[in-house]
Amino acid sequence: MAAPCVFCGAAASYRFFLGGRVSLARKQGVWKAAAAELQTGTGFQILRLRHTTGVTTKKNVAALRHEAYTVDFIKKQIEEFNIGKRHLANMMGEDPETFTQEDIDRAIAYLFPSGLFEKQARPIMKHPEQIFPKQRAIQWGEDGRPFHFLFYTGKQSYYSLMHEAYGKLLEAEKHQNQLQAKGLFSEKTKTKDLIGSRWLIKEELEEMLVEKLSDQDYAQFIRLLERLLTLHCGAKEEFVQRFRRSITVQSKKQLIEALQYDEQGTAFSTSEGKRKSAKAEAVVYEHGSGKISINGIDYLLYFPVTQDREQLMFPFHFLDRLGKHDATCTVSGGGRSSQAGAIRLALARALCSFITEEEVEWMRQAGLLTADPRVRERKKPGQEGARRKFTWKKR
Amino acid sequence: MTHRFRTLRSLFPISRSGTPRAAFLGSSWPAKMAAPVGKAARGWSVLALGLRSVVPRLPGLTQVRWSRYGPEYRDPQIDKEYYRKPLAELTEEEKYEQELRKIQLIKAAPAAKTSSVFEDPVISKFTNMMMKGGNKVLARSLMTQTLEAVKRKQFEKYHAASAQEQATIERNPYTIFHQALKNCEPVIGLVPILRGGHFYQVPVPLPDRRRRFLAMKWMITECREKKHRRMLMPEKLSHELLEAFHNQGPVVKKKQDMHKMAEANRALAHYRWW
Repeated sequence: MAAPCVFCGAAASYRFFLGGRVSLARKQGVWKAAAAELQTGTGFQILRLRHTTGVTTKKNVAALRHEAYTVDFIKKQIEEFNIGKRHLANMMGEDPETFTQEDIDRAIAYLFPSGLFEKQARPIMKHPEQIFPKQRAIQWGEDGRPFHFLFYTGKQSYYSLMHEAYGKLLEAEKHQNQLQAKGLFSEKTKTKDLIGSRWLIKEELEEMLVEKLSDQDYAQFIRLLERLLTLHCGAKEEFVQRFRRSITVQSKKQLIEALQYDEQGTAFSTSEGKRKSAKAEAVVYEHGSGKISINGIDYLLYFPVTQDREQLMFPFHFLDRLGKHDATCTVSGGGRSSQAGAIRLALARALCSFITEEEVEWMRQAGLLTADPRVRERKKPGQEGARRKFTWKKR
Repeated sequence: MTHRFRTLRSLFPISRSGTPRAAFLGSSWPAKMAAPVGKAARGWSVLALGLRSVVPRLPGLTQVRWSRYGPEYRDPQIDKEYYRKPLAELTEEEKYEQELRKIQLIKAAPAAKTSSVFEDPVISKFTNMMMKGGNKVLARSLMTQTLEAVKRKQFEKYHAASAQEQATIERNPYTIFHQALKNCEPVIGLVPILRGGHFYQVPVPLPDRRRRFLAMKWMITECREKKHRRMLMPEKLSHELLEAFHNQGPVVKKKQDMHKMAEANRALAHYRWW
């Protein structure tokens, strides 16, 4: 039988235990006091329950089976990881003190090259906290009494969090009422950075609480937090901020090509674009008269259809630079419309080097800088086409 | 709409296997045949294409449409003037929206849309509805020929008319087109609702997009069916558009018939529950 996580149990249960002791003191039960004494007496001994009923023994065993990693074991793993990290740094000829996780990943990829497609099946060396799942200590003492007062709800961390949040809400409302009574209440709405962050998702909350939640629980919690936000109480902001994660601003992700200069000194920029199976490469010159040549042929002859020429013109017209640039493109693959789309994307990307960041963001919001991911859907067996089914015959 | 669920269809009793006819005829043998094929096909396509987004599985709703974009992608805003507006003119809402858009992922602009001033969304929609077999080139050329024909006819009338009448003659083909379609839009429509084993035609208010669709559909069907074999589409369509512009012609008559039917069936209006 694996020893339970004593330290973890002691450390975690200590907090609960303290609370338990306070409530125990109030009860003044003789046998409870005796049990508490027993616990303090045994100290670092096994915090094992000694239940006599068969049901609870089974529960005990089940809990033990899940409790596979003890605190000692995890500590040992962490020590081994740190030592291994230093060895690895020495092997790679780098400084062990400043060896980060990215360096570890690179070193492992170099030393153990793997051709496996599944990234998670390849060799990894990460901190044990990330590998071994977080688990809970045994939530009850030797006498079988649980430490947390909400243990019997089944989701003690979730309900205690809700309890805390609701307490804060009531406090904030009381505060607001007081301010209103005094007449000091101002309607100013402090819009914090609600746009740059998002609520943490259900999986993240589950990870935080080490407990399984249902969708309704999660929705309820988020609603409570939003109610708390509407009250605009400064003290509660940090509590709410714990549950928000920041989102990256999309415009920062755009790759802007560097300008190159040819023999005459005119600046130009090269870029690629794709659409369905057409691939295009465009070179946009800074000064010109709006001539576009594709595969050596003028655009009027290469694209006899108006719609395609309009697509070529779109990025320039959007930026009000219709007659100001020259472009030379090469394109292959795809059909008429996808070639035009590929060239449009390539031109838009190449133009990013000549314009301000704000205009790049405008182009992105107009959909000019996104590669169209739509491809031809495959035909499936049992159907005539991708979606079309065979004619239904009654007999 | 990236994910459309079978909610409206659930109003009518359709077996999970597939076509509505299977339910009505109650034949089990072809349903059994179709069921594994249909389910397999659907299951296959869901797995093989690798759904980008994880949509929560709601009981009673099957996913019928998905797209290569995830649900977090927003539609692009192509209008040039929207971005050129100075900061002072924006309302609070618009500023908030602008801030929000900086975080969102945006889809690629469709291949038929540009920021050109000559582009009209109604004309584009009409062209797409006229298109057959993906032949956009032909549809677009028919559209341009129609507008040209409308313009020519109006100019002939203009030159033949007296000075007072010249002021009333509209020569811009785009205004004529828009006004004609507006005149063809029905206000109220009929929906078959099943009650006690019978289908009753219940009058129902139509949303805007349904009205526009019906107007265009009626116009196109009318021009395709009721024309002489030798007559070309632009000629017929320009004639119909001009008639609709003056609130005459078969399409406007069809709209008025629809209104009369709705008026006649107004006793059944209480069958509607939405």
